[in-house]
Amino acid sequence: MLIFESILDGLRDIKDHFGRTMLQLLGIILGAGSIVTTFSLSVAGKSAAMEYYKVSGGIQKIWVSNHPTGKITLDAKALASQGLTYGDALALRRDAKELDLVSPVANSDMDIRYRTVEKPRSVMGVTPAYSPMNDFRAGTGRFITDNDLTSSARVVVLGTERATEFFGSENPIGKTMTINGTGYQVVGVMEEKYFSFDQKRNVMRWMNRQMYIPITTYVTRKGESPAHGKISFMHTRMRDIQKADAAVDEIKHILKREHGVTDFEVISRVANLRRNEQNNKMYDMTFMICGIISLLVGGIVVMNIQLASFNERVREVGTRKAVGASPAQIFFQFLSESIVVSIFGGILGIFAGKLFTMGIELLLKRPTFITPSTIVNALIFAAGTGLFFGMYPAIRASRLNPIEALRTE
Amino acid sequence: MSALAEYDIEPARALIHLENISKTYDAGENAVQALRGVDVEIVRGEFVAIIGPSGSGKSTLMHILGCLDSPSTGQYWLDGEDVATMTSRELARIRNQKIGFVFQTFNLLPRATVLKNVELPLLYAGMNSTDRRARAFEALKRVGLDHRAKHRPNELSGGQRQRVAIARALVNDPSLILADEPTGNLDTKTGGEIIDIFENLAKNNQTIILVTHDPVIAARTQRRITIVDGLIVQGEGLE
Repeated sequence: MLIFESILDGLRDIKDHFGRTMLQLLGIILGAGSIVTTFSLSVAGKSAAMEYYKVSGGIQKIWVSNHPTGKITLDAKALASQGLTYGDALALRRDAKELDLVSPVANSDMDIRYRTVEKPRSVMGVTPAYSPMNDFRAGTGRFITDNDLTSSARVVVLGTERATEFFGSENPIGKTMTINGTGYQVVGVMEEKYFSFDQKRNVMRWMNRQMYIPITTYVTRKGESPAHGKISFMHTRMRDIQKADAAVDEIKHILKREHGVTDFEVISRVANLRRNEQNNKMYDMTFMICGIISLLVGGIVVMNIQLASFNERVREVGTRKAVGASPAQIFFQFLSESIVVSIFGGILGIFAGKLFTMGIELLLKRPTFITPSTIVNALIFAAGTGLFFGMYPAIRASRLNPIEALRTE
Repeated sequence: MSALAEYDIEPARALIHLENISKTYDAGENAVQALRGVDVEIVRGEFVAIIGPSGSGKSTLMHILGCLDSPSTGQYWLDGEDVATMTSRELARIRNQKIGFVFQTFNLLPRATVLKNVELPLLYAGMNSTDRRARAFEALKRVGLDHRAKHRPNELSGGQRQRVAIARALVNDPSLILADEPTGNLDTKTGGEIIDIFENLAKNNQTIILVTHDPVIAARTQRRITIVDGLIVQGEGLE
């Protein structure tokens, strides 16, 4: 009952002193606004990163690349090591228990010709694992199969842009094109791969500009035996995110066994993510501290309003006490007024935060996302500020001596 | 209760019983003794004036009677309750339930409507809004201002404001109405009308204590208690 009346009083106060209240609420508005902005940036950043990971192999992805060692070693096996080979991929697939996908990739530019058009273009030697690894499927026709691998078949699957470039509106499937002088049959065209952080640039576009052939075909055409065929890198996928470190160790162990030296690098996305989270925390903290400082300033200002309005209302408090308001009732009345005023500031702060994030989207091209929990957080912070800084004026009002209060002019 | 037994008036009739009340204000080295052993007995339905020059301790006595202040020593029984030793919280409850105040300066909340002002004691008593509204409206009817319920105090004349204050004092059906110079800010005619209202209330067995320095106003009460230098010098009209 009393609380309801106090809330009405708080709202009446906002209405009666609108300009003053607005000016003095600026701190709370900015504080709540920057909290909203922080959360919305952070949430959007995280969800965009997660989306990107999803379309590019998930966070279970482990990247294995060549990393030539500078060390001089006398080990014969180490001397013989030529970097990552297709044989390493086969060894990982055979021996690594923590992995469920191994996708080796060999990649270089080759001369591509169809009828009269001839151009140097990027060609990738891949295994069927490439498709599930990168969440990337054939749109028409088919992708590379195990049969293609064992028979080192001369087949090619085109990215959408290559299909358009060489074939125009013609259906490429079944056609033969020449790669480094040898004829390959087009068996499929990939679906279009698309992902964008800013709704403008497709960060996956490079995948649409590839041509995919069986990795065995790729290495044997270069005159190497499949097992010793050099590859550019490997993507692998761990079975269980909980065992990320075990999976990385296992890869290192097997490759070390094969190579004799550590001339490779193993990077897991889980580890990256952990590091990013650390960075994000720092970033979030900075913004949060800014927000909290604004709220602090806002809170002190709210305390000032309350003290000012308290001084204006000494007589009123005296009257209320004379008709029987207990100290506790006066305390809660004043406190709830400052909470109401602060929540009001918090609500305006949410709108301010919305404006900030719109500005950020417009100027910095960073995505933002305001979630319900962000709004709740901002309101809780604002109300908490009101609670904390409303305490002192409320205590003063509750302790006022009614006789002196009534005597005040 | 033993203190009451020594008096001639039977305890049940005595609404107010003050015995040897003193009040000392401790202002550093020179302590001021505002009341120096005051005995007052007021029965239900009495219309009493407390008169005395300024600085006589009149206001202090009024504050103690109104439970706004506690005596330094002495006993005070109000409506059967020992209020002299109560905490500020308990005194707030007593003021809320048993006392209605009327002040010289009206002391209405300027931003609240007349009706809200009258409802105020009931708000702190914890009554629900429907009942509050009904009771406040009833009290406004008794002072003839129910047609002004939705107005703000600054839209009313001084006499009307004081009538609103009387309605506020009446609304919790108090044992005692305490009026501190209620006509001090009004012209003679309007002040007379306010005293008319008090007279009517007294006729209906409402206990009223009127603090005033105006002998004309005091003359209209049933009994006058005169206080000088913190002591009661005259208590005529008790018999």
